[in-house]
Amino acid sequence: MINRTNYTVQQSPHFEILSENQKERIFNGMMRTLQYTGAHVHHEKARELFKKAGCKVDGVTVYFPPQVILNALSTVPAVTEIFPWDGDDSKRIIIEKKRSYFGPGPTPPNFIDTETLERRKYLRKDASLVARVCDALPNIGYVQSLGSISDVTNGLADVYEFADMVRNTTTPIMSWSFTREGCHDIHRMGIAMAGGEEEFKQRPNYVFYGEPISPLVSDFHAIDKCIYCAEHRIPQVYSPCAIGGGTVPASHAGQLVVALSESMVGVIASQLINPGTCVIIGGVQSILDMRYSVYSYGAPELSLLSAALTEMVHYCNLPMYSTAGCTDTKKMDMQSAMEASLSINAAMMSGANFVHDCGYTESGLTGDIFQTVMDDEIIGMARIIEKGVEVNEKTLAIDQINNVGPGGHYLYEEHTMNHFKDNWMPSLMDRNSYEDWVEQGSKTMKDRIIEKTRDLIENYEGPRNKVPEKADNEIEKILQEAEERQKKEKK
Amino acid sequence: MDLSKITETLISGKSDELKKLVEEAINNDVKPADILNQGLLTGMDAVGQKWKAGEMFMPEVLRCAKAMSSSMDVLRPMLKDDDIGNAGTMIIGTVAGDLHDIGKDLAAMMFEGAGYKVINIGIDQSNENFVNAVKEHKPNLLGMSALLTTTMPRMGEVINSLKEAGIRDQVTVIIGGAPVTEEFADEIGADLYAPNAGTAVEITNEYLQNK
Repeated sequence: MINRTNYTVQQSPHFEILSENQKERIFNGMMRTLQYTGAHVHHEKARELFKKAGCKVDGVTVYFPPQVILNALSTVPAVTEIFPWDGDDSKRIIIEKKRSYFGPGPTPPNFIDTETLERRKYLRKDASLVARVCDALPNIGYVQSLGSISDVTNGLADVYEFADMVRNTTTPIMSWSFTREGCHDIHRMGIAMAGGEEEFKQRPNYVFYGEPISPLVSDFHAIDKCIYCAEHRIPQVYSPCAIGGGTVPASHAGQLVVALSESMVGVIASQLINPGTCVIIGGVQSILDMRYSVYSYGAPELSLLSAALTEMVHYCNLPMYSTAGCTDTKKMDMQSAMEASLSINAAMMSGANFVHDCGYTESGLTGDIFQTVMDDEIIGMARIIEKGVEVNEKTLAIDQINNVGPGGHYLYEEHTMNHFKDNWMPSLMDRNSYEDWVEQGSKTMKDRIIEKTRDLIENYEGPRNKVPEKADNEIEKILQEAEERQKKEKK
Repeated sequence: MDLSKITETLISGKSDELKKLVEEAINNDVKPADILNQGLLTGMDAVGQKWKAGEMFMPEVLRCAKAMSSSMDVLRPMLKDDDIGNAGTMIIGTVAGDLHDIGKDLAAMMFEGAGYKVINIGIDQSNENFVNAVKEHKPNLLGMSALLTTTMPRMGEVINSLKEAGIRDQVTVIIGGAPVTEEFADEIGADLYAPNAGTAVEITNEYLQNK
């Protein structure tokens, strides 16, 4: 008999920053802030919406009573799924507490050229490259572009980015846009890839990313896009970049209160527009380095704050958009690896849903696909820790221990055959003997990362040829129409 | 009167105390130019050096800048044009469509700390507002900031509007903001670019001295 009674299993490690009492206090801090300090909402229609729901509005400031907040939180769905457009559900995303998907981040102006390794402006060709490389990486669960395209018509970087990326990866994309128009273009492309509007509703294939301004300001476009996504039931992120000591208090608890409050405005707007639509909050949480006046992407505080905010966001029964795999360093080096390793492990332990910025260098100003490739390896390692230790009759292996006895070995055991593949197999880490390492070219980690990345760029095709012709044509048409609209606007 | 006390008080960032000391010096007939140069600016130089050396940090530096600025309110009316040197008037703002203000505010405070009279016109400012502010206040320095790649081009438009109004040559234009680069500053015809608020003053002063 192998069943046991009153037996508890711990399937994964426990990692917790805040106690229930602390969470409650921070949550109440958010309620007090939204009720008495309020938030700026630069959008008349949104203010009217809030007013109708029972908020006090004074100029651009909206004060949210607790009941309005609690009502909004009660309608956010517990689970939402995002589907790859090609129907291969191995890449499906399930947005649910404690399931983590890692990916790059949006919009840095610069990119590390994959041939010269020099920093330059982000170009249109980089969007497809990032999408294709990410498509091949097993631990990258969703894709963002790592840049803002500089060589297309001003104001259309968002639309071109999505058009090129969605055709080069089946891994779900997190898109962004400047305005509602871009949002609409991208949505039409998502629908084209899904095969129709109804199909998109059944199987949404992307998530939209929007950002209010810290502290406590929702600018017109941020809330306008939030409303658009809610109307069309597009799963969306509404999260700020909170700068500890700059845009939010320097104390971590205070930062969590403000960060939570800023996002809550989007949660409330989305749920008032369309109760039950998916909204994800969180954002970049880090500190202002007071020596260099830089928003640090490698600070250990980023990991601590992100993990604590993840606990808060899950306390609110919302999904969390967190940050890891990024660095303040300018070139791939030991610092980038150290910072990425620590933050990825912390984000994994925290169970954040979407973990972005894998591939951000120079404090968020430069996208680096080599960093993403390195991060992919680190995520693989962190997943092993997340898996924890399985304890049952098979894994206890008491019989095998008895068979082998003292002084024997386990290499011939059937049990070993069945289990050794549970262990993580490195693709970049070096565990070679010194002699073999020399014979194979004495390659450093940096050499191996470059080699792997370039190999993917040259040899991995991605799904470009699988894109249905109809969808492909539709996307080209949408791009053309966007160009025409932009020309008209200029006039 | 011993001006080193002014210097020390400035370094410690005590605004009210500093203002009193400056008023006292004025009442004791110390030359305003000496109060500025030997007292205040010596202090700000030391602050700048300490910041660079990692002995002082931004919130501390900003307190010193604030103290400097409020003392300048008292001292400025006593100073002759020559006394102030390059530290004249600055207009600073964030361009239209952009509501980001922390970087711009930091820069404004740093310039105040360096003795400039700074008129901060705020966020989301139209091209016209920038031009009108330059016409009205006749500054020798114009600072513009943008955080969004979509609003960055507005900075070039403001420069063009200044040209059209025939007042481009009256001001030195400095720009900044996270996505802004030196290359972009050259493209749109700005005079100066600073990667952060800390170096902005240094870059400007060096440029104005050699102009």
